[in-house]
Amino acid sequence: MESRTKDLLDQHMRENYRKTSRLFSILLGAQWVFGILLAVVISPRSWAGLASATHVHIYAAVFLGGAITSLPLFLTLTRPESQATRLVVGVAQMLWSALLIHLTGGRIETHFHVFGSLAFLAFYRDWKVLAVATVVVASDHLLRGIFWPESVYGIADPAWWRFLEHAAWVVFEDVVLVFACFRGIEEMRSIARQRAELEKTFAELERTHQIVTRTEKLAAVGQLAASVGHELRNPLTAIRNAHAYISKRVMKSDAASDARTVQFLGLQEREIHACNRIISDLLDFARERPLDLRPCPVRPLIEEAFSIVTGRDGVSLINEVPVDLPVPALDKGQFRQVLVNLIQNSVEAMPAGRAGTVRVTAAMDAGRWRIGVADDGAGIDPELHAKIFEPLFTTKSKGTGLGLAVVATMLKRHGCSITLQSEVGRGTRFEIELPAQTPSAAAA
Amino acid sequence: MARILLVDDEQSLRVTLAANLELEGMEVVEAESGERALELLRTTPFDLILSDIRMNGMSGAELFERAKELRPEIPVVLMTAFALEDVVRGALRNGVFAVLPKPFDVEHMSRTVRRALKRPAVLVVDDQEEQARATADALRKIGLRVEAISDGAAALRLMEDRAIDICIVDLVMPGMSGAEVVERLRKSRADITAIVVSDYAVPELMQRAAANGAFACLRKPIAADELAQVVAEARGRAAMR
Repeated sequence: MESRTKDLLDQHMRENYRKTSRLFSILLGAQWVFGILLAVVISPRSWAGLASATHVHIYAAVFLGGAITSLPLFLTLTRPESQATRLVVGVAQMLWSALLIHLTGGRIETHFHVFGSLAFLAFYRDWKVLAVATVVVASDHLLRGIFWPESVYGIADPAWWRFLEHAAWVVFEDVVLVFACFRGIEEMRSIARQRAELEKTFAELERTHQIVTRTEKLAAVGQLAASVGHELRNPLTAIRNAHAYISKRVMKSDAASDARTVQFLGLQEREIHACNRIISDLLDFARERPLDLRPCPVRPLIEEAFSIVTGRDGVSLINEVPVDLPVPALDKGQFRQVLVNLIQNSVEAMPAGRAGTVRVTAAMDAGRWRIGVADDGAGIDPELHAKIFEPLFTTKSKGTGLGLAVVATMLKRHGCSITLQSEVGRGTRFEIELPAQTPSAAAA
Repeated sequence: MARILLVDDEQSLRVTLAANLELEGMEVVEAESGERALELLRTTPFDLILSDIRMNGMSGAELFERAKELRPEIPVVLMTAFALEDVVRGALRNGVFAVLPKPFDVEHMSRTVRRALKRPAVLVVDDQEEQARATADALRKIGLRVEAISDGAAALRLMEDRAIDICIVDLVMPGMSGAEVVERLRKSRADITAIVVSDYAVPELMQRAAANGAFACLRKPIAADELAQVVAEARGRAAMR
């Protein structure tokens, strides 16, 4: 937030430098032309004592003016945002004031060019530019006042403190302008802050909107999946029945000697079973089953879950739940499903061919149960931590991506939370936290 | 030979299921609707009704209620492909033998059917005789076959030679505790499902009972219909996937 404000302010400042430099590039060019015209039209008359076809002032306007203009003009066009450019422009404007004052024979009205220039320079909102300009103009008045007073005051013997009087007016304007610079920056900063806040709010809104859209989409998909799942169950049951009948008859006939027939019958059964599981996962996820909360000892429940999980060679399942753990009230069927999915996930987190351990622990902590399922498998990339409980997210080539989503929704119904700690290459630990239960609901 | 009334409006499901039951040596009479099933019930004796819940016209749950009035002794097993929680719960609490969620394993289905055909009883074991009798009476009213006994050791003896498939046992009893009954039952009669109940919080006993395969632990007081529901759930328990 703070850094975004700073970025935005920085961006505005640079934009302002660029625009102001562009204006100055025009002004500098126009000043040069104006200076030459002034020399041509006015100077010979003002300095009529030495009449000549091409007065020295015309050369001064062309060449001196060119010398003053060329560097800042170059810089405003090539490096409009740089501070050096601003400072050079500040110096050049003051030198132009000096030249114009000289060309008009020290006319007091021409001194207004100094004030106009300072006001213009204040567009940069940089007090240093004003400071440098002030030093330049004060030095110019002091030095020329001493060595060539006609050039700056139009008279030959001004009082020695005349330059101080001019400088005082300049400082007076500076005070106003510096104040304006700071106020301008403050305004820019507050605009930047508001904009940063607006951006943040907008981003949050966008995120919320995405979540809402996603949730709605998921709900719709879930409903569709549930109704499709339900509708598939009847035909699947018929297929299963027919398959069971045919298998029995075939196995008693001559066809049982054909290896392929036997193999395909087994294949059919496995695939029917796989279809059934996918449908069950979908329905587990989409269906709001009411909870049947009953006292349910955790340790034996873990044993049950172990017996359901499809194990793998070399992966040992260890139940470390204490025998005397107080008994929570749970929906046994749903909570077992949660454990089965988590343990199955842990078993599959073991890299192929490597031995490993899945450890289930449980403890009471301030009236709450903490049940941990930990493995020493491949671990989960930190970037995926937020995603793994999302439905349809899977890293497996074969999987519905519903296992952990089912875990999340079922635990939510139980009022439980689940967290995970994982380190790539070291393993993953899921922890379920079951809230404290009133004595009437719990058994202990 | 056991005669089964199979009711389902989905023909493909009905004929394939009938074929499997016949293969098991049962006689199957098919009905394509609840109304047709009721007609058959009036004229023909059956040993079991196996019906789908969701059907056009009369639902399976409705058929169960009507059959209960007409032939209360016939056990009813319902099947469902749909999550009709309230309907299923209502049937379970009202004395249906079991509800099988589709798609079921044919083995599991025929095992449940054979179990129901035996018309097994529930045994209530509670050291407080009064309470044991009251529970038994309430369950009987719902339509279950029930016996009651007040001693763990006697209960084990009784279960050896009676057709009992569910044992509801109090955890805290003098002499043999409920947990011990469950433990012994597991060794001698693994086909009997135990449900333990308790007045008190006894985590160790609950733990022991659950570790020995008790289907559920319940805190007293328990409404009779809820108990009937747990009994039916235990009887219809699907083979773990």
